[in-house]
Amino acid sequence: MVKEDETFPCDLIFLSSSRVDGTCHVTTASLDGESSHKTHYAVQDTKGFRTEEDIDSLHATIECEQPQPDLYRFVGRINVYSDLNDPVVRPLGSENLLLRGATLKNTEKIFGVAIYTGMETKMALNYQSKSQKRSAVEKSMNVFLIVYLCILISKALINTVMKYVWQSKPFQDEPWYNQKTEAERQRNLLLRAFTDFLAFMVLFNYIIPVSMYVTVEMQKFLGSYFITWDEEMFDEATGEGPLVNTSDLNEELGQVEYVFTDKTGTLTENNMEFKECCVEGHVYVPHAICNGEAAIDMIDASPGAGGREREELFFRAICLCHTIQVKDDDEVDGPRKSPDSGKRCAYISSSPDEVALVEGIQRLGFRYLRLKDNYMELQNRDSDIERFELLEILSFDSVRRRMSVIVRSATGEIYLFCKGADSSIFPRVIEGKVDQIRSRVERNAVEGLRTLCVAYKRLIQEEYEGIYKLLQAAKVALQDRERKLAEAYEQIEKDLILLGATAVEDRLQEKAADTVEALQKAGVKVWVLTGDKVETAAAACYACKLFRRNTQLLEVTTKRLEEQSLHDVLFELSKTILHCSASLTRDNFSGLSADMQDYGLIIDGAALSLIMKPREDGSSSNYRQLFLDICRNCSAVLCCRMAPLQKAQIVKLIKFSKEHPITLAIGDGANDVSMILEAHVGIGIIGKEGRQAARNSDYAIPKFKHLKKMLLVHGHFYYIRISELVQYFFYKNVCFIFPQFLYQFFCGFSQQTLYDTAYLTLYNISFTSLPILLYSLMEQHVTMDTLKRDPALYRDIAKNALLRWRVFIYWTFLGVFDALVFFFGAYFMFENTTVTSNGQIVTTNTHMVFGNWTFGTLVFTVMVFTVTLKLALDTHYWTWINHFVIWGSLLFYVVFSLLWGGVIWPFLSYQRMYYVFIQMLSSGPAWLAIVLLVAVSLLPDVLKKVLCRQLWPSATERVQRSSSRRAPADAAPSPDRPLLTDPAPRPRRE
Amino acid sequence: MTWSATARGAHQPDNTAFTQQRLPAWQPLLSASIALPLFFCAGLAFIGLGLGLYYSSNGIKELEYDYTGDPGTGNCSVCAAAGQGRAPPPRCSCAWYFSLPELFQGPVYLYYELTNFYQNNRRYGVSRDDAQLSGLQSSLRHPVNECYPYQYSAAGLPIAPCGAIANSLFNDSFSLWHQRLPGGPYVEVPLDRTGIAWWTDYHVKFRNPPLVNGSLALAFQGTAPPPNWHRPVYELSPDPNNTGFINQDFVVWMRTAALPTFRKLYARIRQGNYSAGLPRGTYRVNITYNYPVRSFGGHKLIIFSSISWMGGKNPFLGIAYLVVGSLCILMGFVMLVVYIRYQDQNDEDEDDE
Repeated sequence: MVKEDETFPCDLIFLSSSRVDGTCHVTTASLDGESSHKTHYAVQDTKGFRTEEDIDSLHATIECEQPQPDLYRFVGRINVYSDLNDPVVRPLGSENLLLRGATLKNTEKIFGVAIYTGMETKMALNYQSKSQKRSAVEKSMNVFLIVYLCILISKALINTVMKYVWQSKPFQDEPWYNQKTEAERQRNLLLRAFTDFLAFMVLFNYIIPVSMYVTVEMQKFLGSYFITWDEEMFDEATGEGPLVNTSDLNEELGQVEYVFTDKTGTLTENNMEFKECCVEGHVYVPHAICNGEAAIDMIDASPGAGGREREELFFRAICLCHTIQVKDDDEVDGPRKSPDSGKRCAYISSSPDEVALVEGIQRLGFRYLRLKDNYMELQNRDSDIERFELLEILSFDSVRRRMSVIVRSATGEIYLFCKGADSSIFPRVIEGKVDQIRSRVERNAVEGLRTLCVAYKRLIQEEYEGIYKLLQAAKVALQDRERKLAEAYEQIEKDLILLGATAVEDRLQEKAADTVEALQKAGVKVWVLTGDKVETAAAACYACKLFRRNTQLLEVTTKRLEEQSLHDVLFELSKTILHCSASLTRDNFSGLSADMQDYGLIIDGAALSLIMKPREDGSSSNYRQLFLDICRNCSAVLCCRMAPLQKAQIVKLIKFSKEHPITLAIGDGANDVSMILEAHVGIGIIGKEGRQAARNSDYAIPKFKHLKKMLLVHGHFYYIRISELVQYFFYKNVCFIFPQFLYQFFCGFSQQTLYDTAYLTLYNISFTSLPILLYSLMEQHVTMDTLKRDPALYRDIAKNALLRWRVFIYWTFLGVFDALVFFFGAYFMFENTTVTSNGQIVTTNTHMVFGNWTFGTLVFTVMVFTVTLKLALDTHYWTWINHFVIWGSLLFYVVFSLLWGGVIWPFLSYQRMYYVFIQMLSSGPAWLAIVLLVAVSLLPDVLKKVLCRQLWPSATERVQRSSSRRAPADAAPSPDRPLLTDPAPRPRRE
Repeated sequence: MTWSATARGAHQPDNTAFTQQRLPAWQPLLSASIALPLFFCAGLAFIGLGLGLYYSSNGIKELEYDYTGDPGTGNCSVCAAAGQGRAPPPRCSCAWYFSLPELFQGPVYLYYELTNFYQNNRRYGVSRDDAQLSGLQSSLRHPVNECYPYQYSAAGLPIAPCGAIANSLFNDSFSLWHQRLPGGPYVEVPLDRTGIAWWTDYHVKFRNPPLVNGSLALAFQGTAPPPNWHRPVYELSPDPNNTGFINQDFVVWMRTAALPTFRKLYARIRQGNYSAGLPRGTYRVNITYNYPVRSFGGHKLIIFSSISWMGGKNPFLGIAYLVVGSLCILMGFVMLVVYIRYQDQNDEDEDDE
């Protein structure tokens, strides 16, 4: 028993509720984020058991399938045994199942029986199902790491070998002043060598930047807040901001090469508006509603009497053929309201088309009131209430692309109303003005409207009983229920009479065209994958500038394949494309030339499955390869009539093609989930078709237009930041450990550390960690506005440009160079000369010789300064935080060293650092050496930067330069941008 | 997983400059127009500094003598030959004669230099007990294990000071004699053997154990000197302020050198007639030759050096500054050429955009 506002502890079969009709309302906000109330139904035969005693007396068995993660699917069977009759078998579906994690609402209490518990609940199963996605940066990071591991091992090996070569002279192995212990002498040579190898590994292990992983994680975690904080991506209409479900892929947003977008709800608003309907060739256009009195504009002449009858039947069909629930806000199950109260009830449905249709029809005079006790009530034009008994619902699915209801009218006639996509209705129609309606449908489709056809069939009682049995058998089936149901539906929905068609407009999302254009300029290929039909989708593509007027369209559609074989079509297309590809690639390099001939490809689901299907002779990849070649040369691809799985297939096809491009999938509906999960980056639109996509995505944004900022600004920044982070970490660890390696050559390969333990430990933790972390959070090499204004900058970082081998090697060599400078600079300072401090500050006029710890401290000091200043050189965006952290960490190093060397620390067994740092600073040459060595280390990098900028400026660098030239002019107004000073939320401009 | 939603609370993002990534910022750009003057200025400054350093380093005089005693290199070879293969080597002394045609400008410092001596070997470097050297009673009796095999003597007594570093204390000694006129008597030049260690080492880090009945010898009772030493630690010097662990030679030795070739300060010459330097004349250095270096292929040197504000002779720094400064100027010119030649082209590119 679960009471109101309680959460279900496990998956339950809903037996009975405190409500008379055996329903309950639940909200699954914590499961999939949908906060709307959903109605679940108790099992018919058990809904009478309303008290605990009753439930006690219930005797039934439940059979159900093995636990599986799909939240919206469940098959089971209940056998209710009663004393008098034979056991009653009832099918159980997802409407009888209450999921763990959902909350009971508006219902006093329910009774249920647990079927899945613990880890077998659907919620638990869903948690495991998400696969781990790793970004390209992470992958190259791991490759670099392997390189460094090899460097580490080879360093240790070299030193071990050198040690034994060096020790081959006995006086070097064991001079009189440095005797070994007896145990050391007797140890086996191999064992000694191995110990030495391990000791070298320990000594050099700092070259593996362990702290990098920590910093990268922190950077990703903290950095992802900038997405959620972004005010420009906040949608005030819905009150939703962007969501970040994983922070692992931030930088991948800067690497996207292919965008796969859904059309409905993503490119378009999914805010359906009923446009017109067409009954028997007569077109009705509803105007703005005038107080219940529908103003109908009939384009054609008024239909005759027979037409009138058909027309009303059409309207009734639309009113009845749906799965809408009516929601009264205050009393869900209260006494019925007067239908004339004027209050418009809110319709709730999983499909916005249905709502648009029913609301549109309301304007034409027919109003759907509610479903009560299996009777659908509607109000006709004369304000009479008509009641239809709802016999069956043949629910919608994306394969059939249609749904039907079977109702019995008050007069006892049984109708089957069927509503669905034109392609799935027309073949099943045997009567009606097919041609007229078809032409109208096609015209609407070209205008970008969503069309649905409505048909009906009158059934006689015997037929209905046959159907009933068929359906019942299918519903009760435990195995293959889906397939059996589909077969049953197939049998039932045939020989229909066409009534008419409807058209619903789905407006483009604001700035969708702008976004698509910017993405294309950024070198991202945009593919539209939709379940819609070719014409509608193509219209939407034109509207959002995916196809331009001069785009040459190539079609691989079923229609065309009827005329030619797939083989011919593909070869012909590839010839057309390759013919121009030479000029095309040249244009690609030189940027965007206006006269560039670009191609758009249109392909539909059937053709795609032909391409994807392995051929009998085994050369399956042949067509695929050809298809890929064609696609790669097209600036835009439109895939229509896609099943959800096909969407994922396409994504997979591109993902695993030769260049392994980074893909991004964006969608809003449950049908996009598979492609969202498949793509490298999945983005969900927090839209109207529920939260499934947002829940399964890596990032969720309220509107399609936000994708532009997401990729061009956030993605670009994150990529720049993290690639610098990765390279810098490797660099600074080379700087750190390479002098250590060199020192081994001068200390008899004895694993003597150059730096004190405290420096070894704190180098990565505190001396050099914060500046790079803050850099990787704050850096903006160009301003956000520039990035948005100039999408072409996105090309500068495409294909992991900042983590290529060339860049990596440059950084590593820079590190090695710097390390050489540090070490040999200090070496020549100390070698054969008396580097002394004349220590006038603390001592009398004495000249004292420095030891090995001073040597290490000098190297270390130069290193900390160089490494930090190198980052300062790379920083383009100095906020007060950067200043604070960079100068602060240098200051911290100095203060720490003064403190570390200034006190005899009683917990240390050795006092080797005592006064070392202070003595070093009291020596003039040490200061001069520090300045010199820091300057020399930074010199090549400065030189490279300046020369590269001058000789081969990248687009980004040009923009930086021109903006810095403009800066003096902008300087005056920029400090008080309205965004900075105005804390109140400002109204949106659009 | 949607932590972000809860983090934002009311679903409305905070609209601050930080969260919107619009903090006011300085956006410097390392372009040629900035780098050029920078390079020229840095180059000039470096060359100036380098010249100064070079000349002040050149002004420093150094006089060094290798007294290892390889056959045929002066009279120390006798000692070297005598000590060959004998441990401990017999006491032996030799001398080095040199003459100064003019005044050796003071203050003059006397160093000894050892080569191929790995004080920075890890096994050697850790073989010491800082706690013992700071005068801790318990450590005096129980030296740390790192000192092994110089932890306890054969008789089982704790070694003070323990460890390989202390055991290998440099034990040659020098005295300097000056002959003002040819044929005249040699006068001993006073060598100041104090103030050669770090002030902090001598005063803080190294402490003798508390005296027993006013006697340092009693304080060290029950300990053994390192095996190579001829006398116990409390007899390193007759001066009570310079014996035991705070003997300055010992303290200097205990600061292990960074590289296998190293110098350590032996004495300062700053007293009497010699405060301005070594006047001209003939000199003799009497060397007590004890320390064996030939067994490990090392050399021993004795060095007289004067000192400037920047320490001892160090031509490296001056030359390095000169080289870097010239490089800066050179690169500055290269960049200038590049800048002028490609300036127009870049401008055209920008106009195109």
